[in-house]
Amino acid sequence: MRDAFFRALAAAGRDDPRVWALTGDLGVGLFDEFTRVAPGRFLNVGIAEQTLVGAAAGLAYAGRTAVAYSIAPFLYSRAHDQVRVDVALADANVKLVGVGGGVGYGHLGPTHHAIDDLAALRALPNMTILTPGDPAEAEAATHAALAHRGPVYLRLGKNGEPSVLPAGHRLAIGRAAWLRPGADVTIASVGTMLPTALAAATELERRGVDAGVLHYGTLKPFDAGALDAALARTPVVVTVEEHSVLGGFGGAVAEAMAESGRPGLLTRVGLADTFAHAVGSREHLLARYGCAPLGVVEAARRGLARCRAVRAA
Amino acid sequence: MTPAPTSVAARAHEIRRLVVEMALAAGSCHIGSALSIADILAVLYGGVLRDLHGRPDGSSGDRFVLSKGHAASALYAALATVDILDPHDVVAGYSQDGGAYAGHPERTTPGVTTSSGSLGHGPALALGLALADREDGTGRRTVCLVGDGELNEGSVWEAIALAGHLALPELVLVVDANGWQGLGAVADVTDLEPLDAKLAAFRWDVATVDGHDLDALGTTLAAAAPRPRAVIARTVKGSGLDFMEDTFMSHYRSLRPADRERALASLERRRAA
Repeated sequence: MRDAFFRALAAAGRDDPRVWALTGDLGVGLFDEFTRVAPGRFLNVGIAEQTLVGAAAGLAYAGRTAVAYSIAPFLYSRAHDQVRVDVALADANVKLVGVGGGVGYGHLGPTHHAIDDLAALRALPNMTILTPGDPAEAEAATHAALAHRGPVYLRLGKNGEPSVLPAGHRLAIGRAAWLRPGADVTIASVGTMLPTALAAATELERRGVDAGVLHYGTLKPFDAGALDAALARTPVVVTVEEHSVLGGFGGAVAEAMAESGRPGLLTRVGLADTFAHAVGSREHLLARYGCAPLGVVEAARRGLARCRAVRAA
Repeated sequence: MTPAPTSVAARAHEIRRLVVEMALAAGSCHIGSALSIADILAVLYGGVLRDLHGRPDGSSGDRFVLSKGHAASALYAALATVDILDPHDVVAGYSQDGGAYAGHPERTTPGVTTSSGSLGHGPALALGLALADREDGTGRRTVCLVGDGELNEGSVWEAIALAGHLALPELVLVVDANGWQGLGAVADVTDLEPLDAKLAAFRWDVATVDGHDLDALGTTLAAAAPRPRAVIARTVKGSGLDFMEDTFMSHYRSLRPADRERALASLERRRAA
């Protein structure tokens, strides 16, 4: 996803003289193409995230489209007050690009994991949150973010994610996408967990369970209509997120389900109110914390069993 | 260009008068913080900031960033003296239920460049604006005003270091050094003196000025430099209200209706002096 983002950023920098790119001393070599095609519009502010976001906002106030890039937690968490006041409150045309959303920087430990970014940013008025599911969608999301007027948080994985979306897939801000229908259970996934959700659906099919996959490439604005359509098919929903289960995607789905007026039963897969203390790669951590495909399969089984129990009672 | 001192003095008086009227109407605090910058704003809005109503080509003129947002009433008052806001509106609408002017400024208000109130944000915002000014190459400047207590914020020093490194002549930082902050004297909380030497060490062009000497402020604020310029304005908290000048409590005290006569009389004495 990271390479896809930088491709799109360079293309935008070449085509639009208003686009600036700022970094907090991260992304070695990755801004080379941008600086070549957009000379004078790149700035490394140093290891100074508050200034990264503040200066990006200042540029935006002066009519620029300012992109601020860092490892996700340093962007949304270290500089949250600047994100809140200078960007969200001001409704500024700043694009916050966080790399390593979730536990992408697995081995580097919990300081480098973004497990509360969706919760922290979802509550900010004016903020749009884009959560691409594969590299092609990350590239499309970058272009969509730059074309959108106003604050955007673009949550990227790291790099080397598989391409899983069909060739005809089009990202539309605020719209979730059905990747497969399912009559028994809906697996709703956000961003980087899409390959996991698809693998879980395949495994469930092998076990005789018809699972649909609903992918949220945008967390906010939240597509409540797509969820309503899911509930019209089956009451059992499993949310899958590379994030705490509190306040992020599972939280958004829970809110929408409660307000939908339809019967529903939700099971959330994600970090169960814990930091990922274990040491390991992203894949190791996802498995260790129940977020690998088999963890999603198990969550679906639990959801279906509870649904049957409720109906029998 | 510095306008005639008499008109700047009249503007300073009008800013103080409006600040006092706003404080009386709202029963609000932060009067001391607003009054300490009245003369600085009178000079800035009296000619140092160019093209306040925009340039002939439609672009904006020089920009002012009030980082110490709790002095919002002084900013509203200054904007009222240049016909960007209406003086009756700001008195009627400042810090009132349903009013248009919050206790800390919002960017949606005409003439207000940045929303502030959370301290330490202004310098980085001003740096970003100055980067755009440099790219535009039109000689526009961005002036950012911080309080001396606000210098406790680490984010201020991030931006000061970077602006010095980038040698941005489009950026001016004014420090309202009134010597007081939330729980006491700045010197007792985190003494940052010698402030001029610190700023100079960060490669800023530094000047120290009496923040109530209109002529000196005019010359100092209008001066150009090849680097970012810091103006340390030594000010008096509550300046103009002799019964609360240079007192800690002028940060918190509100004016009561019974204070009206002596407050306005004090401003008149200052004008006559």
